[in-house]
Amino acid sequence: MGKLVGMWYLLAAVVLTAIWFVVAQIVDLPIIPSPVRVVENLADIFMQYIAIHSLYSLWRIVAGLLLAVVVGLPMGVLMGYFPKTDKFLAPVVYLTYPVPKIALLPILMLLFGVGDLSKIFMIFLIIVFQVVVAVRDGIRAIPTETYYPLYSLGASFKDIFFEVLWPASLPKFITAIRVALATAISVLFFTETFGTQYGMGYFIMDAWLRVNYLEMYSGIVVLSLLGLILFTTIDFIEKYACDWQYKN
Amino acid sequence: MISIENLSVKYKSDSDIYTAISGINLMVPDGGTLAIIGPSGCGKSTLLKVVAGLIPDYEGTVHINGEEVNPKKQTIGFMPQNYGLLPWRTVYDNIRLGMKIKRAPELLDRKMLKKLMRQLGIEGLGHRYPVELSGGQQQRVALARVFALQPDVLLMDEPFSALDAITREEMQDIFLKLWHKFNVSTIFVTHYVEEALYLGQRIAVLSANSGNISMILDNPLFGGKDIRQDPEFFAMSLKLRNTVKKDWNQAWEN
Ligand SMILES: Nc1ncnc2c1ncn2[C@@H]1O[C@H](COP(=O)(O)OP(=O)(O)O)[C@@H](O)[C@H]1O
Ligand SMILES: [Mg+2]
Repeated sequence: MGKLVGMWYLLAAVVLTAIWFVVAQIVDLPIIPSPVRVVENLADIFMQYIAIHSLYSLWRIVAGLLLAVVVGLPMGVLMGYFPKTDKFLAPVVYLTYPVPKIALLPILMLLFGVGDLSKIFMIFLIIVFQVVVAVRDGIRAIPTETYYPLYSLGASFKDIFFEVLWPASLPKFITAIRVALATAISVLFFTETFGTQYGMGYFIMDAWLRVNYLEMYSGIVVLSLLGLILFTTIDFIEKYACDWQYKN
Repeated sequence: MISIENLSVKYKSDSDIYTAISGINLMVPDGGTLAIIGPSGCGKSTLLKVVAGLIPDYEGTVHINGEEVNPKKQTIGFMPQNYGLLPWRTVYDNIRLGMKIKRAPELLDRKMLKKLMRQLGIEGLGHRYPVELSGGQQQRVALARVFALQPDVLLMDEPFSALDAITREEMQDIFLKLWHKFNVSTIFVTHYVEEALYLGQRIAVLSANSGNISMILDNPLFGGKDIRQDPEFFAMSLKLRNTVKKDWNQAWEN
């Protein structure tokens, strides 16, 4: 099974590269360099120039993601498990959820400066709402009878959390992160085009301004690999932690 | 011992108050079994939930071994209508759930647990998830869970009604064997007259819509050997069925 999935990834990569290759041959302009040259270039400059930028981007994503989990998970649990908390917090969440987070960027930059903090906070804002809503809905969907054997054993809230709330909402929680992360990566790219000298966004835009298309494409490839690593990590965690979902 | 005196439960919603059960008196001696039989919606589950400590908002007294019901103090083995297994836990973890929550891993060591699982015919299923089990197997896991706890009281809500007739009789026998071994005071709910007669030392009949008990009878057949084949068992079943029918019809006519 695992091997088969790997095969499909490989096939997709081969097909995409082939299309790229063909298009590059037909168009024959510097704006679309051949993948062969991009890979060669990538091998030459990755360690020296790109690695540091990808680490910066990775750090911002991971920090924003962790922050979103640390805040969003408890909020979702409280709202899902205690109806009173939900009554109180739901209006707040639903009034702020639809606001396009990118519109808040100027405010964030005024509050936190143009550096790392505002970029991380932006990613946090994009992911946290999805986490809150997913965890809350996941917990609400648990049938009341699921709790009975635990209640009749005098289970503490800690027991309820680890035996029921956490495992029951985990699949929705992971899905929410997966969905939000895609948006977060594109927004991160945008925020990295100013106020910093580091990050994949900066690297790609800088290469573009210098009309160095080879470097620009190398950056794009690294950015998509970064996304691939994040998504496969999430998939892996899901397969491992939610394996009960895949039995039947 | 379980003693219930003058128990009433009201469900309150925003608009009205619904009395599910009222003025119930019941007693289960140490190591005895009580069958509760009644039509759907008469309050059987409600009654059981009170004893299980799931409905703290009741009137009257409910004592387990002389103390008011308290899930933190007493060990209550409750088996809900749909077995109550956690879908995200393996069979083994589901069985150990009770011990884990009671922080009492010493209750049953691995060997005893293995033996219990063997007796129930589920020893090879430890690593499966509940969805990978048949209804009968899930039932066995649920039984293993409550018996592994060695509870003060055992409460079962329509434990065998989702099973086919043959599996049901098999499970009833398995239950009796375990019950003899662990000797735990038991209340179970059923809507099968035969099940009440086979497993209940005493049988309480709940009336259809007044929320109280219309009769309690001692079951002279309980504990006899192969009583299901006994002509007397047929006769009793028929008699009980007719009494119950008359009672419920009367209740509906009123
Ligand atoms: N949580 C609840 N809120 C309001 N009414 C309830 C609730 N639970 C049960 N009832 C009502 O109480 C009555 C008894 O229910 P229940 O104890 O589940 O019956 P049984 O198990 O005998 O079928 C039913 O009329 C049911 O509609
Ligand atoms: Mg019921």
